[in-house]
Amino acid sequence: MTRFFIRTFLWALVATGLCAQQTEVVLTATSSAKLVLAMTAPKLTGLDETSVATDFSAVLKRDLDETGVIAMLQERLPAEGSPTKAWKEAGAQWLLNTRLTKAANGDLQLEAAALDTAAEKGVFTRTYNANRIVPLRYLAHYLADDLIGRLTGEKGVASSRIVFVRQISPGVKEIFQVDRDGAGLVQLTRHGSLTLAPTVATDGRLAYVTYKGGAPEIWGQRRKDGAHEKFYPTTGAGGMLSSPVWSPDGKRLAFVQGDRRGNSDIMVLDLDSGRARRLTDGTGINTEPSWNPNGNQIAFTSDREGGPQVFLMQDDGSNLRRLTGEGLYNASPSWSPNGAMVAYVSRFEGKFDLFVYKLGEGKAYQITTGVSTSESPAWSPDERRLVFTSNRFGSSQLFTTDLSGRQILRLSELAGCQSPRWIRGR
Amino acid sequence: MRYGTYLVPAAIVLTLGSLACKPPKTAEQIKQETQAAFNEGVQAFKDGKARATNPYLNDKENPHKAQGWNDGWDKAAADKAAADKAAADKAAADAKAAADAKAAADRAAAEEAARKAAEAEKAAAFKAAAAKALVNIHFDYDKSEIKEADRAILQGIADFLKAFPAAKVEIEGHCDERGTNEYNLALGNKRAAAALAYLKTLGVDEARFTTISYGKEKPLCTEAKEACWGQNRRGEFKLK
Repeated sequence: MTRFFIRTFLWALVATGLCAQQTEVVLTATSSAKLVLAMTAPKLTGLDETSVATDFSAVLKRDLDETGVIAMLQERLPAEGSPTKAWKEAGAQWLLNTRLTKAANGDLQLEAAALDTAAEKGVFTRTYNANRIVPLRYLAHYLADDLIGRLTGEKGVASSRIVFVRQISPGVKEIFQVDRDGAGLVQLTRHGSLTLAPTVATDGRLAYVTYKGGAPEIWGQRRKDGAHEKFYPTTGAGGMLSSPVWSPDGKRLAFVQGDRRGNSDIMVLDLDSGRARRLTDGTGINTEPSWNPNGNQIAFTSDREGGPQVFLMQDDGSNLRRLTGEGLYNASPSWSPNGAMVAYVSRFEGKFDLFVYKLGEGKAYQITTGVSTSESPAWSPDERRLVFTSNRFGSSQLFTTDLSGRQILRLSELAGCQSPRWIRGR
Repeated sequence: MRYGTYLVPAAIVLTLGSLACKPPKTAEQIKQETQAAFNEGVQAFKDGKARATNPYLNDKENPHKAQGWNDGWDKAAADKAAADKAAADKAAADAKAAADAKAAADRAAAEEAARKAAEAEKAAAFKAAAAKALVNIHFDYDKSEIKEADRAILQGIADFLKAFPAAKVEIEGHCDERGTNEYNLALGNKRAAAALAYLKTLGVDEARFTTISYGKEKPLCTEAKEACWGQNRRGEFKLK
């Protein structure tokens, strides 16, 4: 009898727990369900121009639409001032209200509150303050990121940036940075030469290859926001150098060194000691290293078994094994931020497509489908999208795609772009 | 006999006689007078008077003065002639020296010009030989082997390097666009290495070469067809 009561009591507790969670809508990273969100027009205080409200809304809507977890309600919107129930009937699961206030000194404040239309309860409230220098669209980015954080448990990437190489004139390529929405283009190097292969550490330090001295050299920042200086070679000439990649702890750089016999090897440079250690065995081409998030394994491209294929090894060169099975040319591996997937490209009839290999399943999935060449994939910090270069609309432009390949969006109209990296903005 | 009568007339005769007869001049006196006349003659020549204006010509009693004057004049004349000749000789010698120096300078300038012309010709010949020899070789898709058709080009490069022992060359490896950026940098490196290895078998010291890869970063053309891709899959040779 006592056991009966105890069991019932325990079940009741569990049931209560489950009921309490029903008012919270949480989408996991692997879920493909989308939350329908409606946004009322921002209320303005101290701002005359209604264009400000329109621009702000447009930026926020685009940020939320491109996350892949939110569907913005666009049609049959209830009139201004309608009760929450009307929004629920129109299909919105969350309703977002915002107020933009401009103080006398020009400082901006954004107040945002989201509410669950079914439970009619607030699910998110936050106030953002920015001074005159911060553009309004960055407030929209921060809000979008926090909404996604509330929804999925991981912050969004609307305020993130892409670092990439762009050709300025024949023989001159420099490194640039652009916001995820294509605005805010900034030039990061001015070597007046071929500058290639940028890599960004988690604290924002840059490293890359430049031919400014006539032969390739690896340059970078030793300190956050510090000056650019030469990392390698320390003396003399280093032969062919390419593909520098920061380790996750920012203390080592994997890179590729080629010799006069035509072989290329994966090397690891310890930044403090300046010593470089060779990991691969000196025959054939080994290139394009990519660290796993723990910093103890490296994926890379090698032609040791014929055409280029993707291989994995420990960060000391041991336990070398082949990852890719099908296709004659698989290259450009990029290990995902959580370590479960490796993106790469596969060439067919002269053109490349993006693939994602899921390590747990042991299977590869094709993402893009031969419209034109798609190269140089790099993961978004939230692991939901890949940035890559494509010729589909013009010469080598930056695009992003979700992992199904159904939402491919052009990030910028700039042409002549290559080697993108996706980094967190804040 | 009275001898005293002869005293007065004798005294008168002696006195008149001493008045009429001068004592002969001493050698010393004659020497001095000759020297004085000599100096006058020298001065007369210097004043530009003719030899015939010798004032002592008619002085029969002092022929040494006339002679002295002529000697003085002659000596002055001779001295002047000698001085003039010396000056003329010196002028001639100076002119000759100047002419010799100029001739030597002209010769030196001509030699220098000839040397520069020879050097310029040599440099032009070098450049022309380099332009003729250092042409591109090409590679097959995804390959780095040296093609049969390019062996003659590489032989030409080897011959050029043997003809000009100081020349150094950089070998560049390039690819077409149909590979990833980074893999193509490694493939370009392999292509440059293949050219280097072949040139080594032709007997050129490999220390005369540097190699560099540009992958697909420096294409010659950008069309997406084989005519362009074939051009881009190349090895280039540049004088360093």
